Amino acid sequence: MSRRIVQIAWRNLWRNPRRTLVTMAAIALGYAMLLLFACLLEGLQQQMIKNGTSLGLSHMQVHAPAYYPDRSLYDTLGGRGGTDVDRLLAAITADRRVRAASPRVYGYGLAGYEDRSAGVEILGALPAQEQQVTTLHTHLVAGHYLTAQIPQGVVIGDKLADAIGARVGAEVVLLLPAADGSMGNDLYTIVGIFHTGLEAVDRGLVLMLLSALQQLLSLAPDRIHEIGVALADATEATAVAAALEARLGEVLPVRVRAWPELAPHLAEYVRLHRSISFVLFTVVSVLALLGVMNTMLMAVFERTRELGVLMALGVRPVQVVGSILAETGCLVGAGLVLGGGIAAPLLWYLQAHGLDLRSFMGEISVAGSVVDPLWYGRQDFLAYGQAAVGLAATAVLSAGYPAVRAARLRPTEAIRKV
Amino acid sequence: MRWQKSGVALLLGMTCLLLSRSSLATDDQQAREIVDGVDQLLRGQSSSGTVRMQISTENWQRGLSMHILSLGTDHALIRITDPQKEAGTATLKVGDNIWNYLPKVNRTIKIPTSMMMASWMGSHFTNDDLVKESRLVRDYFITTSFEGERGGVEVYEYTLAPKPQAPVVWGKIVMEVRQADRMPTWHRYYDEDGKLIRELTFSEYKTMGGRLIPTRLVMRPADKAGEQTVVVYDDVSFDIAISPDTFSLRNLAQ
Repeated sequence: MSRRIVQIAWRNLWRNPRRTLVTMAAIALGYAMLLLFACLLEGLQQQMIKNGTSLGLSHMQVHAPAYYPDRSLYDTLGGRGGTDVDRLLAAITADRRVRAASPRVYGYGLAGYEDRSAGVEILGALPAQEQQVTTLHTHLVAGHYLTAQIPQGVVIGDKLADAIGARVGAEVVLLLPAADGSMGNDLYTIVGIFHTGLEAVDRGLVLMLLSALQQLLSLAPDRIHEIGVALADATEATAVAAALEARLGEVLPVRVRAWPELAPHLAEYVRLHRSISFVLFTVVSVLALLGVMNTMLMAVFERTRELGVLMALGVRPVQVVGSILAETGCLVGAGLVLGGGIAAPLLWYLQAHGLDLRSFMGEISVAGSVVDPLWYGRQDFLAYGQAAVGLAATAVLSAGYPAVRAARLRPTEAIRKV
Repeated sequence: MRWQKSGVALLLGMTCLLLSRSSLATDDQQAREIVDGVDQLLRGQSSSGTVRMQISTENWQRGLSMHILSLGTDHALIRITDPQKEAGTATLKVGDNIWNYLPKVNRTIKIPTSMMMASWMGSHFTNDDLVKESRLVRDYFITTSFEGERGGVEVYEYTLAPKPQAPVVWGKIVMEVRQADRMPTWHRYYDEDGKLIRELTFSEYKTMGGRLIPTRLVMRPADKAGEQTVVVYDDVSFDIAISPDTFSLRNLAQ
């Protein structure tokens, strides 16, 4: 019975092929547009989170409770006595969701070369660990990354290099207040220069070996300020941070912050994207709703006489409603399939090759993250599914009015209608 | 008759106005002179002195000895003589510029404008204190905010408000000066919101180098109880012959 209803509905659809095709095309294009938009938005979002967290922030940071955001030199993990760094790292990486962890020390001071100088943030790290947590090593424009073989080597941003007029191989002097109250100062050789596109990083960051910075700051080897943590899945950061804080808290007072807390602008931007896609979905839905309602009203109007005959022959109003809704369902279903078919190659292309905006825009940074002018899409199947179900539901809902109208026809009058 | 009356009234009014303006001007002039005198007190036309600095913070304490040379308001050279580890470290100021010489690496580093509010050698004095303090009269409007007895001493209290375009960092400076000998007792520095940031107190007034000066200065940050930097003058001479060439980068690195 139900199969027959669908069959009849499908045939009915093609009694006016032009009208059906136009409505179907509208749904298909609307759906295809939603798919492309969702794909691009997901791509942008993932890119922003990745770029925003991979240039120094990392997905999570482990600090002594008082360290952040003042970043006082003295608030090291484990307090003034420091802590067993290796044991702490092992405890963090014991969580299977953690991909890598990198111990860090920070210093704030001056970098000078010949007669020029600039205020800098100095990050001391272990090259092998840091490369698993951040991607600075992939942004080098000259020289190479830190190596243990060159203990006095530093890697700096290109804007900083320009500001002080230094190139790879130049000896820069770093000057900063040390933990014993003296002014720590020493000479370092620039081994590499990076360009990330983030102004603050390119202009202000100096990277050096953890032990070298500890020495410059007169800090003991077991005193570190931060552990940067990379996760397998960035979206889990908040949950993992809470779990880790509870677990580590049993041995050491720590605060674990996930990137949405460390970079609230970035988190807000991600939320903004969700609102934008919801607005777009609403607009497309309203248009689809009107299109479908119009089509089905016309169909009912044309078939008044036929419906009258059917009802005179004993077809019940419920069955009339069912057939109209089935017809709508077929229309929308075919539209969605068509839309998906149109969009699929484009979605694949966006994921594989990206949208090249390089001729329209240069490198820009938004909410503390770099936006790449080569815009890759990412498949967001959950969003695709939600859009399909939402569109189908609104369409069937919009067919409710024509269907009820059809069911309320009085056969005696309807039959006389030409 | 009527025009005569109004003429007299006008004349009277103008006289009053002129009188009040001139008395205001003398007051203002006196305040400016006193503030400028305080400003120049430890400097003179030129000066050469030895100073001990004791810095106490929450995390460490340390003492520095240094030799200070100054010429006018634009030139100063400070060289640390003790402790041994830092001996030779020097700061040169010429005009608005500051350089530090670091003997360990034999390099001179210029302090950029952005670091002017950073601490000088870990003390509670800023780099800006070395450069900008010399311009109080030029950069601030000065009003007398109190005049009379305080704790048994006749004092003036002046409030210094920055002039609109003045390149200064403080929202307000309030200072107290003893009326009798025009010796400063304290300076209080406020930010733009009127919050007290730090207080500099003067004491142990002695005649040194032919003039009466406060030989002990204590700088205390308002937000860190217990922290302070004490500066004690051991010896100083004023208005001596120093060549401007002394204040050169070449000389800094010696």
